[in-house]
Parts: sequence; structure tokens; C-alpha cells
Amino acid sequence: MSPLLDVEDLRVAFRTDRGPALAVDRVSFALAPGEAVCIVGESGCGKSVTALSIMGLVPRANADLGGAVRFEGRDLLRLSDAELADLRGDRLAMIFQEPMTSLNPAFTVGSQLAEVLIRHRGASKADARAAAIEMLRHVRIPAPEKRIDEFPHRLSGGMRQRVMIAMALLCRPRLLIADEPTTALDVTIQAQVLELMRALRAELRTAILLITHDLGVVAEMADRVIVMYAGQIVEEARVDALFALPQHPYTVGLLGAIPSLAGRKRRLAAIEGMVPAATAMPAGCRFAPRCPFADDTCRREAPPLVEVKAGHRSRCWKAPLEGLAASLADLPEAA
Amino acid sequence: MTSVIEAVGLVKHFPVQTGLFGRVQARVKAVDGVSFAVDAGETFAIVGESGCGKSTVARLVLRLIEPTAGELRLEGRDLLNASPAELRKLRGKLQIVFQDPYGSLNPRMTVGDTLAEPLMLHEVVAPSRRSARVAELLSLVGLRADAARRYPHEFSGGQRQRIAIARALAADPRAIVCDEPVSALDVSIQAQILNLLAELQQRFGLAYLFISHDLAVVRQIATKVAVMYLGRFVETGDADRLFERPRHPYTKALRGASPVPDPRARVAMARIEGEVPSAAAPPPGCHFHPRCPHASERCRVEYPAWKELGQGRGVACHLFDA
Repeated sequence: MSPLLDVEDLRVAFRTDRGPALAVDRVSFALAPGEAVCIVGESGCGKSVTALSIMGLVPRANADLGGAVRFEGRDLLRLSDAELADLRGDRLAMIFQEPMTSLNPAFTVGSQLAEVLIRHRGASKADARAAAIEMLRHVRIPAPEKRIDEFPHRLSGGMRQRVMIAMALLCRPRLLIADEPTTALDVTIQAQVLELMRALRAELRTAILLITHDLGVVAEMADRVIVMYAGQIVEEARVDALFALPQHPYTVGLLGAIPSLAGRKRRLAAIEGMVPAATAMPAGCRFAPRCPFADDTCRREAPPLVEVKAGHRSRCWKAPLEGLAASLADLPEAA
Repeated sequence: MTSVIEAVGLVKHFPVQTGLFGRVQARVKAVDGVSFAVDAGETFAIVGESGCGKSTVARLVLRLIEPTAGELRLEGRDLLNASPAELRKLRGKLQIVFQDPYGSLNPRMTVGDTLAEPLMLHEVVAPSRRSARVAELLSLVGLRADAARRYPHEFSGGQRQRIAIARALAADPRAIVCDEPVSALDVSIQAQILNLLAELQQRFGLAYLFISHDLAVVRQIATKVAVMYLGRFVETGDADRLFERPRHPYTKALRGASPVPDPRARVAMARIEGEVPSAAAPPPGCHFHPRCPHASERCRVEYPAWKELGQGRGVACHLFDA
């Protein structure tokens, strides 16, 4: 089956005073129809820029884009603004961390929802309104026939995010890109929204590309996981394989750094140092300066992203790292 | 032994003014009678969701805002009725680390000046020893001595939080109020800061009042925990026991809703319905009853009394009425 989304060698370089900042560096991955893939990484790893490039939302005026983003066979990077606008909100939808920045405060929830159907489906006002109420009910907003005439500021954060999801799903998109959709929400509300996304995905068969910094959310939502570091994919695997036997020291470090609800760790396995600046990437492996296993080869030569096991890619000279990973995972107890 | 921080029946009501003449229409009971004690070398964490009042408790303890009622003591001395001179002295003993290291450091002061200021204010060391003490503080938080000459914008978020911690340590405090100190940080950096806080506590016997929305972070750092909902503690206890056997339905819900980084745990994620009601109009009876799967008729009319369960556990829930 051909992939729904096929990202090939995506490069995004922002022009800055200090020279080009390579925010996304030759990122390649694919999504099958109905699949849920999470991109996880820390601030500045390029995960959000990757998502924005797919949506055509990276401003061309100060960024150079390269590679290809094929969605249902068409390269989105080569579409005109008008062609992209036809796709967005229809076949391809996106939700953001802060719904208030994407909802227009001057219009009611209902008129903004109806607009989507009028724009993309040529629906009549009455039909669009009826469909909008139905979709609000679908995302479990209580009393939708009343809520539809509210302005966004009258709704709580959780309700606004539901409205955003309703708006994104109105045209039953093939792909939903969600950039940190629950990061601004309290955990009980986050649990509700994640559950809702899961239910809607099962029902509408929408593929989801979820961008998050939270490995807990990844474990809840993903079929497959892509780990990014300093603009590159460093690891990619099915969710169970990634958590059971991570194949990149950065992933191992991330997993060790999360405090656990199951029990206190003597010491968290902090990854020392910090992410390099996009304008001053180290030669060799970008993670080498922070990696406890780095040797001269790592510092000198950049490792390629290769398949180290079936369906499991890693960008590390030491992979597969069964023994190493185990010893690093043990660090917190031993320290 | 006297506790470092002791709060008894703290209350903070904010008036809500509306209308033409700013008439007081309602009172938001942001903090509605909370009591706790934090001992030396111990971390007392208050955990809860947005609007539960946890940050208001932090601000009350620091006397950044005045309580409506209650008592507050620092090492046995009355913080609320202290004279201005006495209060200034006590303030040196009680410091804060905020969530946002970008907002809490003066961008126009070098890191060295930022750290020297509390040294001057609280006369911690002789003027001739100040720069040596600044270097010592920087090394305590894992920064190089040359950081003193640089400005906050030259540092990353994690490093800025280290600077904020160094500033808090400058006056040789007994207690530090940590208000969501790692919430703005990436996990790898968050782990560094949590480890640092734990080391400093061991070394100096500091008492921490730790405010957080993140259960896993609290589990990692806290000795004792209070779960707060709409202005009140609903459950308190020793951290290990509270997380292993949560008693209050809200604690259970919070724990169930926190995603666990393990795909095998997926099905276990519990869900509670509804959202936190407004603190200006909390529901009658138990504040949690509209979202509680165990709510009975009694829960709808009567706020449950506080019950001690032994071993430092306490809960406000009718399920535990004998």
C-alpha cells in the first residue's frame, strides 16, 4: 500500500544573522493511512518545524526548504498557496497547542465551524450549522446547540481544544497533524482529549502525526515513534520496541530522565550539557558531546540513520546497543 | 523539634469586583483553610491542577500577598505579625525559585551582581568576601565562575534556573519555596535541576515547599504530599504511600490520568468526566462531587470533615467515615 504521507529529505534552513540555521536536516519518514506516528524531542529539535513544513506554514520569506513532502502522491512543497489552501482543513488538518491563537475571538464557534464546510464543501449555511452542531456533539461538548453560539473566550481551555478538534475533523481529513495538543491542559483534561483523539481516529480512520515532548503521551498514542535531536531523526521504531529496547543513547537518556510515578529513582539519569545551537552543530555525531559512550569515531564522523533491526532505525555508530542501553538504564540506581 | 515552615488554617479570599462602582460581588476562596508543616531536610509538595490554589499558598508563605486568616511561622517565629525589620531578616531565611527563569532574573544585571545583591541585603558575608562567595554559589549549582560576568540572556533555560537557585541560596536560607521550578524545562534539563535540588537539600538540610502540577516530578522529589482541589487539601500523606495507595477519589483520578511512559500501561489510563468548577462558585457539599464516581447524596450537601488515617495520612472524603 502506498503511504499517505511520504516525507523525503526534508530540509528547512532559516536565514539568520549568524548564517543559515538548519532547523530540519534531511528528515525522511512515511505515514500509512490510519496510522498514528509521534515525533518526540526536546525544544529546538525541529519537530514543530517539520510539522509546519508539511502544512506549508513555514514562511518562505526567511526560510529555504528542500526535499519533498508527498501527500496522496502530490508534493506539497511545490503546490501554490491556493492549492494548499484547498487541501488545508479538508484532506489535511492541524491542531495547535494553544487553541486561542487559532480561533478568531471575534466570531462565534458556530460561524467558524460552518465556514470550513462552506469553504470546502459548498454547504448551505443551514446545513453547515447542523453539521457543526453534530461535530461538537461528537467531540463531547455538552449542550452543543447552545455552545455553538458562544464566543471562544467563553470556553475553558479543554473545551476550546475540543472545538479545534471538531473544526479539524469536520471534513474528515485523511491526516491530522497535532502539535503539542494537550501540553497546555491539566492532566485530567489531557486524558479526556487523548481519549477523544483515539476514539475519533478509530472511527474516521484518520492518520495522526502527533508532535510532543512528552514520552508519556507517546506511549498512550503512538503506533510508531520518531525521535528527533538537533534537527535530525536519531531513532525510529514501533512504540513497544522503542520503549522496550531503545537503540539510540539519546532515547535511552530521555527515558531515564523522566521521573516515574511507579517509584522514586535514587537519581534521575540526567543528560548532561545541552542541545547544540542550529548555527553551530558539532562535527561528527550531534549527540556526541552529551553521550556517555562517545569515542573518537563519534566525534569525527556523522553516523547515518540505518536499520539496526527489522523496522528499527538508529543514527548511532554503537547500535545495536543491547548491552550499552542496559548499562545506561541502570545508571540511576547505581549512582 | 520546631518545623521550618508552619502554616495553620491559611485562608485567602479574593474579592471579585464588578459593576460601575466596583462593588464586591463575590469572593473567590483561592485558599480555604490549609495547614501544614515542613521540616528541615524535607520536601513538602502541593500538587493539583490549574486554579486549585497551590501557587496562592506559595505566595502567602512568602508574604507576597496577605492572608485573610491563619497563622504562619518560620522556625517558630510569627511571620504575619513580624515588624518590618524582623520580616526583612526572616525573608533571608525563606527564598523562592519561580517557574520562569526568564522572567525572574533582571536582564540588565550581570549574574555576579544578581548574586551579590542578596549578599549585601542580608549581610551574609563581609564585603571583601562577596566575589568569592559568588564564585562559590556558582560552583554549588554547577556553573563556571566566569558566568558572573555574563548576562541572563547568554544562558539557556536550564542554566538560568541554576542561576535562580544560586540566588536563592545566597542568603543562606533555611527554606526555599519552589513554584513549578521545572515545568518550563525539557525533560533532560528537568532531571538535572531535580538532581541539583536534591543534592543541595541533602548538603544544607533545606526545607522545600514544592508546588507542582506534575505527579511524577512530585513523586521523585517529595517526602510529604498534599493534593489540593479548589482551595483545600483533599489528601495528605507520605509520598511513597500516597502514590502507591491513593485514597481520595481525586488523587486516584489524577494518578490515573497521568500518562505513564510505558505503552503496555495504555489501557490503565483512567478518565474522569467534567472540568474543575470555578473557585468563585464551587459546588455545594464536597467540591469534587460533580466529577466523583462515588458521590452519594451526602456528598452533594455536606463538605467532608478532615480525617486522620494514621501514619501521617489524612483525607477529606465521606468514603472514609467509619
